Amino acid sequence: MCAWRRLHGSVRTLRGSLLRGCLSSTAATRRQPGRCGGLTLCQRLSTGGALRNDFFKDLEDQLAAMRKKAADALPGSSWMPFEINPNLPPETADIVIVGGGVVGWSIAYWLKQKERLPRGMRVLVVERDPSYSRASTVLSVGGIRQQFSLPENIYLSLASADFMRNINEHLSVMNEDPVDLQFNHSGYLFLASEEVAHIMEENYNTQRLAGAKVSLLSPQRVKENFPWINTEGVALASYGLENEGWFDPWSLLNAFRRKAISLGAIQCFGEVTDFKYTTHIRTTADEEQLETRRIKSVKVQMPNSMEYQPVECAIVVNAAGAYSGKLAEMLGIGRGPQDSIYGLPVPVEPRKRYVYVVHCPDGPGLDCPLLIDYSGVYFRREGLGGNYISGISPEEAEEPDTSNLEVDHQFFEDKVWPKLAHRVPAFEKLKVTSAWAGFYDYNTFDQNGIIGIHPLISNMYFATGFSGHGLQHSPAVGRAVAELILDGGFKTLNLKRMSFSRIFAQEPMLEQNIV
Amino acid sequence: MLKILIPSMFMLLTTWTSPFKQLWSTILMYSFLVATLSLTWLAMPTDTGWFYINNYMAYDPLSSPLLVLTCWLLPLMIIASQNHLAEEPENRQRTYISLLISLQIFLILAFSATEMIMFYVMFEATLIPTLIIITRWGNQMERLNAGTYFLFYTLAGSLPLLVALLIYHSSMGSLSYLSLTSLPLTCSNLYANKLWWMACLLAFLVKMPLYGVHLWLPKAHVEAPIAGSMVLAAVLLKLGGYGMMRIMIILDPLTKELSYPFIILALWGVIMTGSICLRQTDLKSLIAYSSVSHMGLVAAGILIQTPWGFTGALILMIAHGLTSSALFCLANTNYERTHSRTIILARGLQMVLPLMATWWFLASLANLALPPLPNLMGEIMIITSLFNWSFYTLILTGLGTLITASYSLYMFLLTQRGPIPHHLILLEPSHTREHLLLALHLLPLLLLIAKPELVWGWTA
Repeated sequence: MCAWRRLHGSVRTLRGSLLRGCLSSTAATRRQPGRCGGLTLCQRLSTGGALRNDFFKDLEDQLAAMRKKAADALPGSSWMPFEINPNLPPETADIVIVGGGVVGWSIAYWLKQKERLPRGMRVLVVERDPSYSRASTVLSVGGIRQQFSLPENIYLSLASADFMRNINEHLSVMNEDPVDLQFNHSGYLFLASEEVAHIMEENYNTQRLAGAKVSLLSPQRVKENFPWINTEGVALASYGLENEGWFDPWSLLNAFRRKAISLGAIQCFGEVTDFKYTTHIRTTADEEQLETRRIKSVKVQMPNSMEYQPVECAIVVNAAGAYSGKLAEMLGIGRGPQDSIYGLPVPVEPRKRYVYVVHCPDGPGLDCPLLIDYSGVYFRREGLGGNYISGISPEEAEEPDTSNLEVDHQFFEDKVWPKLAHRVPAFEKLKVTSAWAGFYDYNTFDQNGIIGIHPLISNMYFATGFSGHGLQHSPAVGRAVAELILDGGFKTLNLKRMSFSRIFAQEPMLEQNIV
Repeated sequence: MLKILIPSMFMLLTTWTSPFKQLWSTILMYSFLVATLSLTWLAMPTDTGWFYINNYMAYDPLSSPLLVLTCWLLPLMIIASQNHLAEEPENRQRTYISLLISLQIFLILAFSATEMIMFYVMFEATLIPTLIIITRWGNQMERLNAGTYFLFYTLAGSLPLLVALLIYHSSMGSLSYLSLTSLPLTCSNLYANKLWWMACLLAFLVKMPLYGVHLWLPKAHVEAPIAGSMVLAAVLLKLGGYGMMRIMIILDPLTKELSYPFIILALWGVIMTGSICLRQTDLKSLIAYSSVSHMGLVAAGILIQTPWGFTGALILMIAHGLTSSALFCLANTNYERTHSRTIILARGLQMVLPLMATWWFLASLANLALPPLPNLMGEIMIITSLFNWSFYTLILTGLGTLITASYSLYMFLLTQRGPIPHHLILLEPSHTREHLLLALHLLPLLLLIAKPELVWGWTA
């Protein structure tokens, strides 16, 4: 009964509105039945809507809606007749960078920087962890030093430090805040014992030759400059005077990301689970059959979903950090017969390292470099409130389990604190306020980065395996990989020795470190 | 004539009834046979006049080169599509080939039509298979956009043409080509006559394309699969030119004044699109814009209405058809290997694919109108006739030639010379099929150097 009356009422109003020339029944006209004829039982309890039916206002709204719909449907807009998940990556991309850490985004930035025309290439960065909670970049201690023994590493660090000192020339975006890396130029202080002092001297010479500003200090000078150090057992110390210190890795990552996206790189959160590739069998000069693969497309799986998107691509860059080895396994590297070239895996695996934040009000204070002792323990100042972060690399045999990022606090008590307290007596009284763990992309072969193409996969570039130096080398590595891809070879820094050939020739390029 | 048309129609039947294993070889041989038979069209005992088959179809020295080009292109399209269709299911492959064959049938009917309405219907009919090829088999998401642009630009341009043809028919009684010469529309200086003139030409100018209405072309060429790009560049653009040449006869007295802005627009377009080519990052886009540039010259040559202009336009149309199609095939060989159309990612290829570099070289030289290739003959004749009309066009055409040379060389040097990136060192070597394809494109072009009489129409 009530419904009939309401229907009748609505027909009346429709006719009325047709007479008035309304184009369609809006919410205002539809609410009329409640008021027509005073049917209190069927009265709608709506509180919105015009009290008077304003024809012109409705007309204007409807025309605006029609205009918007017409504008959407015109060829120039991005309206599609079918719904697409906006988080999916595009169907095709020129370069897919697997891994959205600082190395991945650095490469994306440099690729976009070096293309001569805007929108020249489509660069897609695929990262599987939207919150970056397990990424090595953000869990890093954030130090940068030139005190290496390999010239390549020294040059990489020098170039990166130069980049970061002038970061706003490179990475500033119009109308956005300038980049502040909080680069503390406090330097690294390496302490060497009697046995390893000669290595330190050799390294010092290499570093000076390469242009690093490092100075050698005797134990007395160390004590003068840093009175809080216990120089017992220290024969020689090397202190970086310029371009060394620590900075905020998250700021660097975000700066690269923001600039790359402003230049046109595309970000996608998803996991690369599979590759489609074509196989070619060639005969080498020694009459052997070599099977090479060429990636045709990358399958990107959306997080927490069954949806995936195959991205057709020309080049894939493996900047997946600790998981580079697993990514390469999807292409069959490392799964062949053991003694053949196919059986040699990409020697990068995750290694867990702990970092402990301690609070010590009587500690070294503000004038505190990143101190690395010959026993392996290191620490640096964190902030201005008497906090320090510290850690040590565990022994080969005692590598912690890498299935999670749980922190072993006992490790601090057993391994870190005694050595720390020995070197800096003030640290006998400290309190561990927090701790975290992060993964190194550990190169099990020689603990140095791998940059270049894999001989078996024709179009996959690697930039991984930095084993703890990835963050500090990231700007220069990004530039190097971009030069490889776009210029056909290294232009600014010659990193040919860091290619895969050393792994296949089984000639490790080891750092001669004192730790 | 029927010996070409009926076999083409029955090629459709063959596509669907061949055993799958022999599908491509059968269709290839069949279309080669048809193409060889079509060469008989080039033998014309008299220089002018029509050669009749029946009341509805005829050919003359203007349409026979275009007909032969159409028939020659089908086997080339089949060779080019074979690789990328290999992974598709059987029925889709057959459908694709049927679309190509039906396109050829419509084109043969269009070029051999004796009546304007038949030409118009076939002109519109070619849109449908092309649209299906672009939107169904294109590679990127943007192909939907491209199909929309292509369809609506051409349709919007050609609807006025229908109206104009019907007006003419109702006032003159016939639209047959024979009678067109003796029935120009009487010129009273009504504004409506000028609109009628515009309506007649608009469809063809959009199809050519003229510079202001060219937006559909880069999209359609880039998003289409290789066979789609080939047929678009080689033949469909020439439909516009051919239609313009046919309809010029009835537009006579008005064209003297009204064509002025379009000639200037066409010449300006030559320079503009040439400059855009220098900034392109996408290889197919570069070749598409170079098509617009060459067609601008053709449009200017036709609108100038002199014998040399028409001859130059026709020679340039044929030469450009072969060259542009060859360049698209070369771009496709790149694309099939690297899966990317970006130029900077496929550089220094001469080191890896040296024989393909030869074809790149020849095609780039043809594109920049190197003598003695017919491209130059066409361009020189058009430039000369324009110069005869007005000295100042020489600035525009000369600048246009300079820019054409620079972007052609730029394309060649960027793709072939220079250091080769590491990811291209292990590129798949060239297939014989690819060499055959390019040889079949460039051999006719080289042979035309020796006998351009075949393609220079009823003038000269």
